[in-house]
Amino acid sequence: MSGDADSASTEQIRDALRRVIDPELGYNIVDLGLVYDVTVRNDGRDAHITMTTTTRGCPATDYLQSGARDAAFTVDGIGSAQVTLTYDPPWTPKLMAPAARVHFGIKDE
Amino acid sequence: MPGASLSRWSLSYFAAAVVFLLAGQVLMVFGFGYPAAALRAPDTLLVVHCVTIGWLSLLMCGALFQFVPVLVVRPIYSNTLPLPALLLILAGLAALLASFLQLGGHLPVIPHCFAAASVLLGSGFGIVLWTLGRTLSAARPLNLPARFVAIGLCSVAATVTLGILFTLAFGGYTRAPFALELLGRGMPLHVIAGLGGWLTFTAIGVSHRLLSMFMLSPELDGASTQWTFRLGTLALAIVIIAGTVAVIARAGLNAVLVTAGLAGAGTLALYARDVVQLYRKRVRRVIELNSRMAGIALGHLAAAAVLTFACAVSGGFGQYGGALIFLVSFGWLSGLGLAKLYKVVAFITWLECYGPVLGKTPTPRVQDLVVEPRARTWFWLYFAAVDVGTVCLLARAPLVFRAAAAGMLLASAGIALELIRTRRLANVSPALRLPQGTRLPRLLFTFVAN
Repeated sequence: MSGDADSASTEQIRDALRRVIDPELGYNIVDLGLVYDVTVRNDGRDAHITMTTTTRGCPATDYLQSGARDAAFTVDGIGSAQVTLTYDPPWTPKLMAPAARVHFGIKDE
Repeated sequence: MPGASLSRWSLSYFAAAVVFLLAGQVLMVFGFGYPAAALRAPDTLLVVHCVTIGWLSLLMCGALFQFVPVLVVRPIYSNTLPLPALLLILAGLAALLASFLQLGGHLPVIPHCFAAASVLLGSGFGIVLWTLGRTLSAARPLNLPARFVAIGLCSVAATVTLGILFTLAFGGYTRAPFALELLGRGMPLHVIAGLGGWLTFTAIGVSHRLLSMFMLSPELDGASTQWTFRLGTLALAIVIIAGTVAVIARAGLNAVLVTAGLAGAGTLALYARDVVQLYRKRVRRVIELNSRMAGIALGHLAAAAVLTFACAVSGGFGQYGGALIFLVSFGWLSGLGLAKLYKVVAFITWLECYGPVLGKTPTPRVQDLVVEPRARTWFWLYFAAVDVGTVCLLARAPLVFRAAAAGMLLASAGIALELIRTRRLANVSPALRLPQGTRLPRLLFTFVAN
């Protein structure tokens, strides 16, 4: 039961994170591949997001982190949200979802 | 800490810089200074310093306060010190320009104007160096783009020091033989350290990172780019150190300039290779106006390199030196500066206004803050006018040059208006313009909530 709630919330959080755009690329952070992991525990109450930015030191980093946290809180039942920033592995355009790759005119290798 | 990475005063530097760009162009339209006057005439020196300190250096300082923290992934040493630095530089520049007006007979003599300019400009740039130097120093070992900036900062220190010695000798405050020698023969060192070291070498370093960031190209830090840095540093060291020694020792400068010129040519060739790689390997196939216009500016740098070579071979620096300085200042440095300013103002404005509500409400993209087709017309007019102006200087056609300067002025004013519209969010659709929790950014500074 608890596992079902957690996985449902995970998907809801991923949807909510699509509202957060990378300001430079103008595309949502989920389909850009900037969100590495979303985990929800404790019956859908505690969210943990692991994400990165396109460039290390990007001036938008703090805003993207707090934006992801705020987006997670818009999901019903989420009581705590933690966002961890990582550059391991570093982001590459290969991590983009197919729709984003098409949007940016990136050809598959 | 949201907002910690936004520079509070960069917009103030940019605004002051644009005012000086327009002022310099107005002077050129009215035929003030070169080519109507000699290259070393006080009227020419006034226009040159209006452009190099007022426009290019303030632009570069404002950009570095925002982007050095990005390069080194550390906060700026102080977000407060840039303001007194700006005020000191503005006061010092006013004193310097007034000194040239006195020398040109346009103003009655005001005592100690040159001394005031030296103290104020020296202090202002000193604070800039302290703030950026401490930021870099805390981030050692430096990555490659940051090392370019570090050498650029050493170059501005040399440029300002030489400038202060010139003003002290010019104003009669010192009769020391080395200062008089430098005043007499050291001008090329001052020009190369400023345009080549401070402005060009720093722009090369920052452009490596910005072009890669804005076009999603792989960052370059391989052997070729390392050699770009080493060779460029060598060229600047030869000009600044060996050149100064040669002038003070009353030895010839030709050997120094030829050696440095060869190293400089190698640097530019390697940089050209880097730039071609950055554009070729970009993931973002459709690039924005700023990257396209940066490419045009880079083409002007290549043209300036060719003209330098032609002058060196033909011994035509005396005849064509003015055209060369014009091409470097307006085709390369100002072209790149305007292109990147167009992007950076939109980026900073987005972060300031929409960053705090990201994730809470739909936000526009950075691209929604600008209207590229409108700005594109101004940029093309700008570069076309610069090219006509350069040809006029080479062909000695001063009247047509003034018409070209009018074209540059019109185009620069058009770009400046676009920057104001960006800052006022005038291009954003009303539905997205000011969502709850946002407020209209101020025109002249950035609100930083830390």
